[in-house]
Amino acid sequence: MPYLNVTEVESAVTSLATAYPDLTQLVTLPEPSFEGRTAHALVIGEPAATPKPCVLMIGGVHAREWGSCEILVHLAADLLEAHRNGTGLGYGGTAFTAGQVSGLLHRLDLVVYPLVNPDGRNYSQTVRPMWRKNRNPANAGGNPDSDCVGVDLNRNYDFLFDFVTAFDPKADPQVSTDPCDQQVYAGPSPFSEPETRNVQWLLDQLPLTRWFVDVHSYSQDVLYNWGDDDNQSVDPDMNFRNSAYDGKRGLPGDLAYSEYIPKEDEDAAVLLAEAFCKGVNGVRGLSYKPMTGFHLYPTSGTSDDYAYSRGFADPDLGKVLGFTIEWGTEFHPRWAEMEEIIRDVDAGLVQFCLATA
Amino acid sequence: MSAVPHASPDDDILRLHVTSEDPEALRALLRENRPDVGGRPHVEADGRIGIDVYTTADRIPDLEREGVTVTRTGNASEAGRAAQAEVGSGDRFAPDDAVPHGLATKLAG
Repeated sequence: MPYLNVTEVESAVTSLATAYPDLTQLVTLPEPSFEGRTAHALVIGEPAATPKPCVLMIGGVHAREWGSCEILVHLAADLLEAHRNGTGLGYGGTAFTAGQVSGLLHRLDLVVYPLVNPDGRNYSQTVRPMWRKNRNPANAGGNPDSDCVGVDLNRNYDFLFDFVTAFDPKADPQVSTDPCDQQVYAGPSPFSEPETRNVQWLLDQLPLTRWFVDVHSYSQDVLYNWGDDDNQSVDPDMNFRNSAYDGKRGLPGDLAYSEYIPKEDEDAAVLLAEAFCKGVNGVRGLSYKPMTGFHLYPTSGTSDDYAYSRGFADPDLGKVLGFTIEWGTEFHPRWAEMEEIIRDVDAGLVQFCLATA
Repeated sequence: MSAVPHASPDDDILRLHVTSEDPEALRALLRENRPDVGGRPHVEADGRIGIDVYTTADRIPDLEREGVTVTRTGNASEAGRAAQAEVGSGDRFAPDDAVPHGLATKLAG
């Protein structure tokens, strides 16, 4: 099965919902894209009398990172088929028993939202393969081929969105206020885009979400919070909400600022990231690396930091540890290699979910 | 110093590997040019720091500077077009009995 087009991603999700009605719930996201596409997510889990903790996994955010959608669709298909038939799952040298699969869907709800940015994916798959943003035409002056079309959705969340104020001028976070930046334009305001509002809505609808995973490419890493600066667990007042630290964020190894994360949260995040890497490694020996998002490069407005930050802004929401998977070593692997990557990452994700116990 | 053999004749986005012995030289390049990058900087086998950069041929001179080596490693647009040929057409899941199957081996009990 080669790469899925945008119609097929959605029909794959809906067909899984139809085929496994006892184990799934189809969720229609409320806001269509600028080109009118409606997205779906799939809640996977055994029915339960009371709500269960939830792992929310999203993909297809950056248009050119096609395989992220396939990773999540195949993961859902594997888990559902294995649960129904009472089998385990084998990904190369990583294996999970039938008991582990059924236990997972008994204990957790897994929510798979494989295609956040359908317009961008369609444009990348049919016109410009290296396109990254969505297809919001607001700043393009009527030219659909302009670089000024679109917003980088993974800079559009409400986390240190005003990076010019929040970061040290020397920090150079990978984000831009220039609408014609081809890659990292953050948009005019937080959640200016329907695609990010859909993710926000899903988090709002799933208050028992405790783990959030955004699937991207590439670099063979798994990133955990935070992405704006080094982590520290000593000074709770040194945090993203404290304007006293505006202009000081984003420099590595300095004493002026590090982002606060409770030690128990960082320890939990590291264990989960290591579990993911262990699952990947068993498949064919690849060594994905766990690290904070800041070690990739300083960022603002990303989904994983937004998901985690919600619990600080409003403790009633509960904590959601945020992760970003960066699979592979290129944006468009040939399909034969992509299949191998899907096995790698799906094994890692199952191992990750098991480690949430 | 450049190891780029020739310029691309069109607007294709090329995949380049940019390396330097001096991490600050690489940081300065990324800060000043803000190129499209793939992944993160890695320490290479020879101890140099390297990162993938994506740009058009006419922008390569902007990357070239003392202490930095730019090597063309591929044509990302060409690779993307090859991948576009591997995108499904129609809707393989339209039939009522068409359901996706994952890639895992289903293991007995």
